[in-house]
Amino acid sequence: MKILVVEDDPETAEYVANGLAEEGHLTVQAASGDEGLFRAAAEKFDLLIVDRMLPALDGLGLVKALRAAGNRTPVLFLTALGGIDDRVTGLNSGGDDYLVKPFAFAELVARVAALGRRPPGGPVESRLCVADLDLDLLSRVVRRGGREIDLQPREFRLLEYLMRHAGQVVTRTMLLENVWDFHFDPRTNVVETHISRLRGKIDKGFALELIHTVRGAGYCLRAPA
Amino acid sequence: MPLPRLFRTSSFRLTVLYAALFSASVIVLFAVIYWSTSFYMTGQLDAAIDSDFAELHQGFRIGGATRVASLIEDRVKDMPSGPMFYLLENPAGGILAGNLPKLPHRTGTFDTVDPRAPHRDDRPPLRARAAILPGGDYLMVATGASQRDEMGELILRAFGWGSLVSLLLAFGGGLMLSSGLLRRVEAISRTAREIMEGHLSRRVPTRGTDDEFDHLAASLNAMLERTESSMHAMRQISNDIAHDLRTPLTRLRQRLELAQRKGTTVTELRAAIAASISETDAILASFGALLRIAQIESRAVRAGFADCDLSELLRTVVEVYQPTADEKNQTLSADVAGDLTTFGDRELLAQMLANLMENALRHSPEGAAIRLVARGGDDGLTIILSDTGPGIPVAEYENVFRRFYRLEASRTTPGNGLGLSLVSAVAALHGISVAFADNNPGLRVTLSLRCRIR
Repeated sequence: MKILVVEDDPETAEYVANGLAEEGHLTVQAASGDEGLFRAAAEKFDLLIVDRMLPALDGLGLVKALRAAGNRTPVLFLTALGGIDDRVTGLNSGGDDYLVKPFAFAELVARVAALGRRPPGGPVESRLCVADLDLDLLSRVVRRGGREIDLQPREFRLLEYLMRHAGQVVTRTMLLENVWDFHFDPRTNVVETHISRLRGKIDKGFALELIHTVRGAGYCLRAPA
Repeated sequence: MPLPRLFRTSSFRLTVLYAALFSASVIVLFAVIYWSTSFYMTGQLDAAIDSDFAELHQGFRIGGATRVASLIEDRVKDMPSGPMFYLLENPAGGILAGNLPKLPHRTGTFDTVDPRAPHRDDRPPLRARAAILPGGDYLMVATGASQRDEMGELILRAFGWGSLVSLLLAFGGGLMLSSGLLRRVEAISRTAREIMEGHLSRRVPTRGTDDEFDHLAASLNAMLERTESSMHAMRQISNDIAHDLRTPLTRLRQRLELAQRKGTTVTELRAAIAASISETDAILASFGALLRIAQIESRAVRAGFADCDLSELLRTVVEVYQPTADEKNQTLSADVAGDLTTFGDRELLAQMLANLMENALRHSPEGAAIRLVARGGDDGLTIILSDTGPGIPVAEYENVFRRFYRLEASRTTPGNGLGLSLVSAVAALHGISVAFADNNPGLRVTLSLRCRIR
């Protein structure tokens, strides 16, 4: 993916850009808001990583300007502003995701992958399939190897999210935000317990595991290679 | 030279304006009185001289100037010096009769003065009527008008004094009023200055008169109270950070130092780094929680407020923690009414409920029963979360809300001692009261919301 990193702190910018480059992405850096806006408007990027507080033009202004010009490149806000209202204002201004500093690098990588694969308003899918696992979004029926699996509504949502991001790492916070709409970090391992319960229904009794734990990062649902 | 402060006050300016308007109305009133009084009295005088003149004129028609002269002689005989005065001259200018000296001829009804008085400036006023008779004789009838003029002067004098006194009263009253108001305003500015100098506990004095100044003072005091308490909270947070984050930072430093001194293999160093990162994460989490609590306590976070489906939220929280309870063989049951709604920040309410739920789950032993009941009533709704765990001693009910406060019994369980501080901050922001009670055994937390039901 070709990613523009708009960040004024050189150390953080290097950390983010080099880390993403190691993950196989092509990164371009901009150190101020106006430079970022210029580059984002002049070149085609797959993703913009934008700091909220920037010299010359702040991150919100940058994204608003881009959106006003019809540019729909996905934007991930990366910011030290972790206030309760800040996330909402960030997303309202046209950002697609919001990550508060300090963050674990695995979290950033997972979110970058999730945003990059986001279908740009493509046709609405009605079925999700990974290997022999089949999820019908209309009838809300889940089958594995032709056998119907009974899921609670929230388990269905959890599985749906994992399947939509099949092959990608999804982190605990991504699941908390998108499945339960929890925007804080519970002190209990709630995600782990839900995943292990879902595993019991999806993977138990099957030769191949689909839900994998990625150490230090999160989970990944993928077909065996 | 600038005016003294008192004269520049708005209340003084208002008083002066008021006095000016009042004086203008007094002038109009007196003018009307003066004019109507003198009009009336002139009318009386005119009536007297007109009737006498008519009688003499009648005499002239009967017996000519001679008859008029004899009539005048009769009248003058009894009263040589007024109150009625007469003059009859023949066409040649000779005085035929009367008690007035020769005068320049004027006809009609008019005001004049008594020409006999010695001093020119002190001649008594007369009201006169004069005409040239058909034979060419000049007849004048007059009467003293001093009474009328004295009345006029009396009115003018009364007006003058009256105006002077009322102006003085207005001026003096204005000064008194202004200095009173100025004193009270000064008291407020003095308090403001003292507060700026750092005496945060100063308050604006009230008089107990329940007037607008007392109201202003009360509002200002309430504002100051709020400001002081939020500043106090801020200071509290700095202290908390300074004291309570020092312990984990010290631990982190020790760990790193130990790794530096003793770590020899890559595996050992890696392990030390991993441990340090998780220690750092814990510190950052505490730091984040403190900031969040501070932000909530400053009440600057109302942007996220919206209608919030509390029933859905409560069910989600139960659902999220159900597997956790199952793992510890705890029974988590819920009885949530279906129509509970409130106005608030869903994210914060979720965190508040999650914190309480986590406390119940963590501190209760295996096999404990945790129950969540939510009910709506006429005057609000109640959420009760009860467990059969160890509970909280009654004496500690207040303490557990303090930042970093941990009960002796739970020192060994993981946690940063900020969970209930956040609960208390979110509850206060939403006007929710949090009450603890003994569940015999265990703890019962009751949240009461004064709000509407859908």
